[in-house]
Amino acid sequence: MTRGWQIALIVGLLGLFALFYQGLWGNPRLIPTVLIGTPAPAFAGPAVGADGTVSLEQFRGKVVMLNFWASWCLECRLEHQNLLAINERFGRDPNFVMLGVNYQDQEADALAYLRTYGSNFAHVRDVKGAISFDYGVYGVPETFVVDQQGVIRCKTIGPIIGTVYAEYTQRLLPGLLQGGTEAVTC
Amino acid sequence: MLRPWLAAGVIAAALVTSAGASTVDETALDIQTREVAKTLRCTVCQTENIWESGSPFARQLRDNVRERLEKGQSPEDIRAYFLSRYGDYILMQPPTRGVNWLVWLGPFALLLIGGALLYRTLRGWVTQTPLPAPPADPLDEPSRRRIERELHS
Repeated sequence: MTRGWQIALIVGLLGLFALFYQGLWGNPRLIPTVLIGTPAPAFAGPAVGADGTVSLEQFRGKVVMLNFWASWCLECRLEHQNLLAINERFGRDPNFVMLGVNYQDQEADALAYLRTYGSNFAHVRDVKGAISFDYGVYGVPETFVVDQQGVIRCKTIGPIIGTVYAEYTQRLLPGLLQGGTEAVTC
Repeated sequence: MLRPWLAAGVIAAALVTSAGASTVDETALDIQTREVAKTLRCTVCQTENIWESGSPFARQLRDNVRERLEKGQSPEDIRAYFLSRYGDYILMQPPTRGVNWLVWLGPFALLLIGGALLYRTLRGWVTQTPLPAPPADPLDEPSRRRIERELHS
């Protein structure tokens, strides 16, 4: 066997081991998003606990933080106070808005959840899952950040806590609110 | 006693009724929904398609597929839509393009490489193994002469 073939064989075997490693020890629930850098899909739906509809169109030109949640989701409770803190801090900026999208839930349960844990931003009901499918959501919590041009800059699967929370508050949101685009992603 | 023509009629009627019963409860839309749903992966249950999965996510996705078919979208349009939202992972069969070719051709390539290596190794063993030496003459000359002498004595 020539040296070239030996190297090719070793590289191939290493590739196989990498695949096995990913398959056996990687997180099978983590599906890489294909939506970063694409226009945020428009949506409109009934507001949770209020009359009227909430649409993305209303917030054109703003940085929109879109959080998919449900009352039955335990991880959503972990991040909830952080979401309130983010909106408390960045909501003063007229170019920022946070929206909750209530996912696979009953409105009464969602309202009870918001009464228990608090709410300082609007929520929209995803009645038939259409908003979730448009955003490629397959579980909660998932959070998207849309820039002022209406382009998705970040998707986070799982709660906004710890280092993720720090990343959002220290780099991502301030950067996007200062008009950053391509360079500010997560 | 039942007449033959009456018996034949009863059997024919039973066959027609049972054949009809098997198609009454599934419309063309149901069939098309099932066919599309079987090609889409349930992203929360890993190895199941959304037709076979009982998860709420899969149920909602099935309903969405059905609604899209009702609106006149083709199965290809629907698959393209979900592909654009979830990426290749949503399809039960990865599309044959780019690095996905590795998934399709990889097993055959590995089989070929393995076969070639096996052939090479076996061939090496065969050529390196020395041929067995011809058996030595079991009788030395004095023994042979002695046997002949005793035979002829």
